[in-house]
Amino acid sequence: MSAQPAAAGSSPAHGRRFLAAWIVLSAILTPVVAFFLGPAIPPGNGSVEATGQVFDNEVLVAVSTPVCVFVVLFLGYALVSFRSRTAEIVDGPPLRGDMRIQIAWMIVTGATVLGLAAFGTYELLQGGAGGGQGPNAAFLPAGHNHALDVQVIGQQWEFTYRYPTFGGLETPQLVLPANTLIRLHVTSLDAVHSFWAYQLGVKADANPGTDNVVYVQTKGARSFDIRCAELCGLWHGYMFDTGQVVDQGRFTAWAKQQQTYFTPVARYLPPYATTYMPDPQRRAG
Amino acid sequence: MSEFAANETDYEVVEGEPPELLGRNLNSAGHLLASATAFFFLAFIFAYFYLRSLNNAGLWHPKHVTPPTTFGTLVMALTVLSAILVRLGLADQRAGRRSEWRLKAAVGLAAGVGVVVLQVVEWATMGFGPADGGYASVFFGWTAFNLLFIVGTLFWLQNLLATAIRYRNVPVGGKPTPGHASGDPGRPGHDVADPLSLVRPGLEALSFYWTFLAGLGVLAWVVLYLA
Amino acid sequence: MSATAVEIRPPVWRRLIGFNAITGVIFGIIGYYLGWFLGHHITGKSIAFFADIDQNDLSVLLGYFFGVSGFLIGLGFGVYPWARLRGYPPSLREKETQGTSRYFGLCTDHKVVGIQYLIGIGLFFFIGGLNAMLIRVELLRPASQVFPAGQYLTLVGMHGTMMMGMMTSGILGPFANYFVPLMIGARRMAFPRIESLTFWLLMAAGAVLTTTIFFGGFPTGWTGYEPLNSQANTGMDSYLVFFALVGVSMCLLGLNMLATIITMRAPGLTWSRLPIFCWAVVSTSILNLLAAPVLIAVLGMAILDRTAQTTFFNPQGGGSPYLYQNLFWVFGHPEVYILALPGMGIVLELLPVFARKPLWGYRLAVSGLLGVTLLSWLVWQHHLFVSGINSDLRPFYMLSTELISIPTGFTFLCGLMTLWRGQIRFTVPLLFCLAWFFNFLIGGLSGVFLSDVPSDVTTHGSFFSMAHFHYTIMGGLVFAFFAAIYYWSPKMFGYTLNERLGKIHFWVMFISFNSTFAPLFAVGFLGQPRRTVTYAHNLQFLNDWVSVSAFVLGLSMLVFLYNFVYSLLFARIRAPQNPWSSLSLEWQLPSPVPVHNFDRIPVITGDPYDYGNPSPGAIPATAPAGGSS
Ligand SMILES: [Cu+2]
Repeated sequence: MSAQPAAAGSSPAHGRRFLAAWIVLSAILTPVVAFFLGPAIPPGNGSVEATGQVFDNEVLVAVSTPVCVFVVLFLGYALVSFRSRTAEIVDGPPLRGDMRIQIAWMIVTGATVLGLAAFGTYELLQGGAGGGQGPNAAFLPAGHNHALDVQVIGQQWEFTYRYPTFGGLETPQLVLPANTLIRLHVTSLDAVHSFWAYQLGVKADANPGTDNVVYVQTKGARSFDIRCAELCGLWHGYMFDTGQVVDQGRFTAWAKQQQTYFTPVARYLPPYATTYMPDPQRRAG
Repeated sequence: MSEFAANETDYEVVEGEPPELLGRNLNSAGHLLASATAFFFLAFIFAYFYLRSLNNAGLWHPKHVTPPTTFGTLVMALTVLSAILVRLGLADQRAGRRSEWRLKAAVGLAAGVGVVVLQVVEWATMGFGPADGGYASVFFGWTAFNLLFIVGTLFWLQNLLATAIRYRNVPVGGKPTPGHASGDPGRPGHDVADPLSLVRPGLEALSFYWTFLAGLGVLAWVVLYLA
Repeated sequence: MSATAVEIRPPVWRRLIGFNAITGVIFGIIGYYLGWFLGHHITGKSIAFFADIDQNDLSVLLGYFFGVSGFLIGLGFGVYPWARLRGYPPSLREKETQGTSRYFGLCTDHKVVGIQYLIGIGLFFFIGGLNAMLIRVELLRPASQVFPAGQYLTLVGMHGTMMMGMMTSGILGPFANYFVPLMIGARRMAFPRIESLTFWLLMAAGAVLTTTIFFGGFPTGWTGYEPLNSQANTGMDSYLVFFALVGVSMCLLGLNMLATIITMRAPGLTWSRLPIFCWAVVSTSILNLLAAPVLIAVLGMAILDRTAQTTFFNPQGGGSPYLYQNLFWVFGHPEVYILALPGMGIVLELLPVFARKPLWGYRLAVSGLLGVTLLSWLVWQHHLFVSGINSDLRPFYMLSTELISIPTGFTFLCGLMTLWRGQIRFTVPLLFCLAWFFNFLIGGLSGVFLSDVPSDVTTHGSFFSMAHFHYTIMGGLVFAFFAAIYYWSPKMFGYTLNERLGKIHFWVMFISFNSTFAPLFAVGFLGQPRRTVTYAHNLQFLNDWVSVSAFVLGLSMLVFLYNFVYSLLFARIRAPQNPWSSLSLEWQLPSPVPVHNFDRIPVITGDPYDYGNPSPGAIPATAPAGGSS
């Protein structure tokens, strides 16, 4: 059953050899990953928030690389070096632990984790990083007092948008001015939706009865994809759209024009509010 | 510990196991069940405070939703009474006062049934329904599920009482006639030699759990009627 | 010791209608129609609360309730409460005979229950997997093609719910039920009848979920978010009943496991000698015991919302959908560790056997498992980072979520260091364990992206998160499941699984698994949300790649199935008593294990990892094998 332990200490340099290989490989791979793969990770450069997220992803893949290398290299090293080469069963040395290794491991993982959490918090402080923050946004970007309010209303199964500064007009197209800080108010009339403006790096759940605020600082003129990212019923898969970021002048012109279209139907709609409470719907999906 | 591994036929209790095993199992099960129950009602406590803090559509607690405090207090008081009676009954049982414990358990059971009846009457007469806002929802849900737990525990109490009554004439440590074995009627022999010895561990665990549930009842009363 | 081995065999017809699966099904169907009729009767009377629903949820729910009750009574679960009601004392054992019929009813032999679980869960795993295949067929093209939108959502929901519900017991059900009593030197579980009940409840639940197709399916996915839940048609009730039954089963399973391990350890088996798999069972059971009640409560509220018109989750009536999201994830996050922890336990249990070394850092491994158990309660709002709930608490949830990687890292360190300087033998179970490390590593690292709020904004609700949890659950739990079944089959069935086929199964599964889910990280980053029947045209190549890989992954399951059936039913090569030369207690028993496990309860003098000790004092030397069979 348990035969002699294998001759211990036949190659005591295993640990050092492995660590050296790990450091060298990580030193090569981490910059490669950080500077070649990192910037390629979406969502791109469509807004300040999106750029921040790309940076975030870059840091995370950079930190992940040595971890990944450690485990994979360890497995590879162990499997090659410590393969049993005999037909009969031989036991290994009865090693039951090593306090130094355990403490070193705790320190390294603990420091990494705390560092990552601190980094994530710092990034979040930059105006909320494009995520929905609820009615009382905790993380405000600079100049939030002058942000343009736009409301996003999720309903089965489309998004509509209201512009309180333009008479509360409601339209099925999302058009935003370039280089402007926008405050999106995301809400829903029925099920839970999630407003995902992909290239802008914005995602905010639309809950009925809730005003979910998210800030986004647009950059240059471009179009962006909108999808519903929370399962909201039958036609959820078809709840997508394209939005536009346009120059300031074109935006004002567009809004004025929309306002004239909107005026005759305004009285059939409830006045602009942060949330709406329609009668509950049953059996819609 | 060698006696544990000794010849199993030394033990004439459940399947040749040491007699204290059933008690230990039931004791740990009672505590585990209580923690699970606590987490179950934690959901309702959370719902209460969460919906109250949100007060969506101003419908947390409309004016006409006034829970009947008299009923609530009665329900709570009867639950506590029943739990106390079971505690006292346990003390009697430990002291070997067999008829006293049966009496206390019977009264405790009756009090428990009274809780069920009163609760149903309260729902039927309280003047608001489950659809009347957040508070009404929590009230209805919490009391309804609480009642389910109470009914389950009463069933347990009834089981123990029924065993005690059925074997009331068997002396402690005595054997019932063969064929009294329960569970599988097709089983040739009886597997329980001393049925009365099984009442105590059950009663210990039940008493703990029932006291715990009564405590939850007091908490429900404080939150739903007083807060 | 089989004293009453006198087999009384009644005629066949009598055996068919006794308390068994057939009577269970018959009673179940009768019960369903009874409840259905009752529900119509109540609503027909127009009690105000139930009146304004155009579809009769109450009728369906009562149908399920009476159906499940009838099923259980038909199986014989009514006999015991009925006896107790009349004052007869408890009896522990039922149907502990030999023969095949005991697998089709209430049996209190934990080894029978283990095998019941293995087959029963395997069946529903197969159905869930089939759903996944159909989903991938649909996603071969960017536009809806095979299934209409509603059917597609039902497929997604059934796949997710079936897997998340059934696989909670994927390892605890078969392997903990079978091996925990053997590992701790006990003859039975603490509550054998409850043990059987957990299994049959799960089977009833699976049947209930499958019948959702007769009620139009359900649109919510496995999370069942409100208020879509309240809107949905009666197919939703199947989901609610399914998950509530699974919750009851989970909770009772956890309670039973904990009680067993607390009270029934053999003399000398102190907590610091407990096999690491049992520690994983302890931590999982704590989560089972405490998280499942929250699930039952939240589903109870949803059921009341759908029938009694309460407004727990309806913001127009004073409720809040956030309440559902909070409570669901209070359950839901421990739930994912219920799926992860048993896998860790299996891997750490098996590595010493195949590295021929003691488990490295036993205490660290235990604290890792318990640390995950504790922390898993503090992280639930990371599922709600963009929902608008408590946005100022997000740094806390980010921190607590990332903290979980510390105790998880403990288990990694212990596992890896166990391999270090070992005498590693490449058996099929070891291959699955090693794959677990790789998969769980990828799953864990991708979890860091999801726990980081800025990165989560893109990845949340996308295929990235879907790939992440498939890496942890399928890559973790299912790989560990296969490691366990290859490892323990010789003991459970007495026959060895074919090793060559096992290796083929492993490589096909490992490669196709990674080929399926690794590209999905990219798909998610590129903007494809979960659970949508359509996707952007530029993602078609990746999706097709994934679909084809998924089909190969499905085929690899058939390789296993072939191996399983072939080895156990046709090849039937008798396994030696201890083919892996393991020092663990269960291997010291003969195969198959006798009904009462141990003729004499062993006295434990050490932990089961005493490999390489030149003077082994412990278990095999003193543990007498039970052996009357
Ligand atoms: Cu939507």
